[in-house]
Amino acid sequence: MSSKPKIKELLVESACEHNKTKKGSCNAPTPGATTGGCALDGAQIALFPFADAAHLIHGPMSCIGGAWETRLTPTSWSGRDLTQTGFATDITTNNVIFSGEKKLAAAIDHIVTHYAPEAVFVYSTCVTAMIGEDIDAVCKHRAEKHGIPCVPVHAPGFVGAKNLGSRIAGEAVLRHLIGTKEPEKTTPFDINLIGEHNNTGELWRYRHLLEELGIRVLSTFSGDGRIASIRTAHRAKLNVIICAKSLVSMTRKMQEQYGIPWISCSFYGKTDTSAGILAIAEALGDANLIARTRALIAREEARLDEQLVPYREIFAGKKAVLNTGGNKAWSIASALQDLGIEVVATSVRKSTEADKAKAREYLGENAILMTSPATQQAKVIDDTGAHLLLAGGRSLYTAIKKRIAFTDVNQEKKKSYGGYDGLLVLAEDLKNSLQNPVFELVDRKAPWQK
Amino acid sequence: MAEVRRKSGKPLQVNPHKLSQPMGATLAFLGVDRCMPLMHGAQGCASFAKVMFTRHFCEPIALQTTAVNDVIAVLDGGDYSIVESVKNIHDKITPELIGVHTTGLTETKGDDLRGVASKIEVPLVYVNTPDYQGGLESGWTLTTQALIDQLTESCDRIDAQKIVLVPHVSLQPIEVEKLHDFIESFGFKVVAVPDLSSSLDNHLGEKQASLSSGGVTVAELKQLADAAFVVTVGASVKSVGATLQKKNPAIQHRHFDHVNGLVGTDALVAWLLEASARDTPPPVVERWRKRLQDAMLDSHFSIGQTRFLLVAEPDHLASMAASLREVGGKVSLAISTVDSPILGDIEADQVIVGDLEDAEKMRDAYDLIIGNFHTEALAHRVEKRAVMRGFPNYEEIGIALKNDLLYEGGAYFLFEIANAAERMREAQVHHERERIKLRGAA
Repeated sequence: MSSKPKIKELLVESACEHNKTKKGSCNAPTPGATTGGCALDGAQIALFPFADAAHLIHGPMSCIGGAWETRLTPTSWSGRDLTQTGFATDITTNNVIFSGEKKLAAAIDHIVTHYAPEAVFVYSTCVTAMIGEDIDAVCKHRAEKHGIPCVPVHAPGFVGAKNLGSRIAGEAVLRHLIGTKEPEKTTPFDINLIGEHNNTGELWRYRHLLEELGIRVLSTFSGDGRIASIRTAHRAKLNVIICAKSLVSMTRKMQEQYGIPWISCSFYGKTDTSAGILAIAEALGDANLIARTRALIAREEARLDEQLVPYREIFAGKKAVLNTGGNKAWSIASALQDLGIEVVATSVRKSTEADKAKAREYLGENAILMTSPATQQAKVIDDTGAHLLLAGGRSLYTAIKKRIAFTDVNQEKKKSYGGYDGLLVLAEDLKNSLQNPVFELVDRKAPWQK
Repeated sequence: MAEVRRKSGKPLQVNPHKLSQPMGATLAFLGVDRCMPLMHGAQGCASFAKVMFTRHFCEPIALQTTAVNDVIAVLDGGDYSIVESVKNIHDKITPELIGVHTTGLTETKGDDLRGVASKIEVPLVYVNTPDYQGGLESGWTLTTQALIDQLTESCDRIDAQKIVLVPHVSLQPIEVEKLHDFIESFGFKVVAVPDLSSSLDNHLGEKQASLSSGGVTVAELKQLADAAFVVTVGASVKSVGATLQKKNPAIQHRHFDHVNGLVGTDALVAWLLEASARDTPPPVVERWRKRLQDAMLDSHFSIGQTRFLLVAEPDHLASMAASLREVGGKVSLAISTVDSPILGDIEADQVIVGDLEDAEKMRDAYDLIIGNFHTEALAHRVEKRAVMRGFPNYEEIGIALKNDLLYEGGAYFLFEIANAAERMREAQVHHERERIKLRGAA
């Protein structure tokens, strides 16, 4: 039987709130008015952090060309970091006509011989899916030959957007890896972190705290992940989804197949980090653990508050407008509030219903939830007297026109704002923005302008 | 000359630097003013290209997608998705031009682009750029040819002062501007096609990437055929000369493989003097030639003892190798993205079509690396140094303003490379000294 996931099923995930009210899925992108990556992109983002596995794109160079070695997902894996190693079959006209399956098999052989990975993920792409390459058969045969898992990932770009690709990746791991190995030992406090990609080392901002409490991260999907440990993920006592709605299918199925309950957490800012750690302890249900957790939270918050003192003065009375997507609409807002900055508006353009509700809850009644931030934000800045715009690079010009400080929210793609310590990093970056004269200066009139 | 290996002989690319044909097409359309490049493929095809160029140029990039999904892939012949895209783009903005370019997906399903284009009323240029053929250079060239083929009106007049300049894809925006101005300083009027010098040159403008801002205008493209000369720079764009000559056989074609270094720039200047019937160039040109001569002498000692690995598109390899060779640099290995007729002319010991895995294996052959940002990690692995050139470069800013060509850029290039080579050797000496100290202590 083909390992291709049932796309329709993945699109109408029953554990997604919005699918309770909605009849169909919103799968079809609008031609000529679509932004964002494809399913392949999403699948890569979900799986690439496994640094001990090779990631082989079976397709032409567009599908990998500019996109390898771009993932800032560090690993503690001692072997060669395969997250940062690009593999592609580079399909040619010949392969399109006469099939590229032999080439794919030889490519897997090359990788196993020269890079000794713990597993090989093989990603189909639009072209190889169109010409009907049987990557399942190639993977099965190669897995038997080499004695390592070869996992077919059926996420050609045309099946949908990034989010769907992420689900497909979860599906592939669930089908081919999870439950294929037993852990050496288990503890009552074993958890899986699902959807934590360790972007810019975010996982490392809080994992040590979990470990201090005696909570063991049995496996991660997929930040600083190991193939050997994800194969044992079925023995965890709890699945923790980190800011990733796209993976609820995976955790729901793990609940059905292995009886593992799941919770969803964010580790952005002080409030959410504390709430997240406590939620994990409570879900594990041990009174002693919960008590220890409360003590740890109190200690960490006190330490952080002390370190934030010098910043509070700078941020007192400062107002910010936030223009970013999805759950960041409230998770970054929460972090800003922790710093004493008033968030007067946030964008909910790409947020789910739940995210919108949460944004309202965090920001209060008077805050503006922008549905069309690109056109709204300039006026919102005027109306609210905001001092700071946090947004993607495209909005920089708005800030310059309004002569207010700007912080690129995508900075977090380079450095982590997660966990307790990340808040200090965010505070430092915001301080630097607010004190930087460039936003005032750069748009000053030229000597020849009246 | 060089020993050339034109095929990789491997079943895959490991750590590839090859980029795809549609990416080259996108870039060429971005060199047309108020253009909306429209990539005909799945949404990811455009997204990957958009992310890459946004990060490389640190600029918002205008690019749309026909967003072909599984159903469209099977049922549509391009009619629906392209027509619908054009309509949706026009609902929001009015581009001067829409640049439709295909991908592997839509070529595999075999869309009739020409047929679809003929049904569309708005200004549109189409080009077939499957990504399982060619690469960045060919995508750029095919698109430039399509722009001329489909837009330029035939003409039988000649404007003796007018030159059409066709740069190869690896020339950065400032290089196109420098070349443009250099030729104009000999008394010509120059139109660059495509022209990234005013669109992706890192200028502050009020833009949200809705359309390209800057570049050659559609009006200028229509009126190209009264040029006295078409000057092509880079072997990959040589064929564009003939494309323009079809519109007016009286146009003369002058080709340069590159205009880098002393000899390369001298060749251009010699021709410009002849074509403009002048005895001497503008004084500033003379001055820069003297500065380059001095730069060559100042840098020859360092570069002359350095073995180089170059990793780039074919035309870019040819220009860099020529500059380095002039001051004694030994290009021991040049790795090209794709095959090209120019590979045989590159001044290197060995030229191969390959990837960075090949570079890693042949680490004993070179000291200093010049290549895209991926060569930085390579340099760490093989314990060498790298200087960033070529697509993509996510590690540095200001790339659009990096000038390596003509006398002026040639001097800057030699200084940068010589300084990097010296720092590399200093680090080696330091390393060696520490090792000896440790041995002494033990």
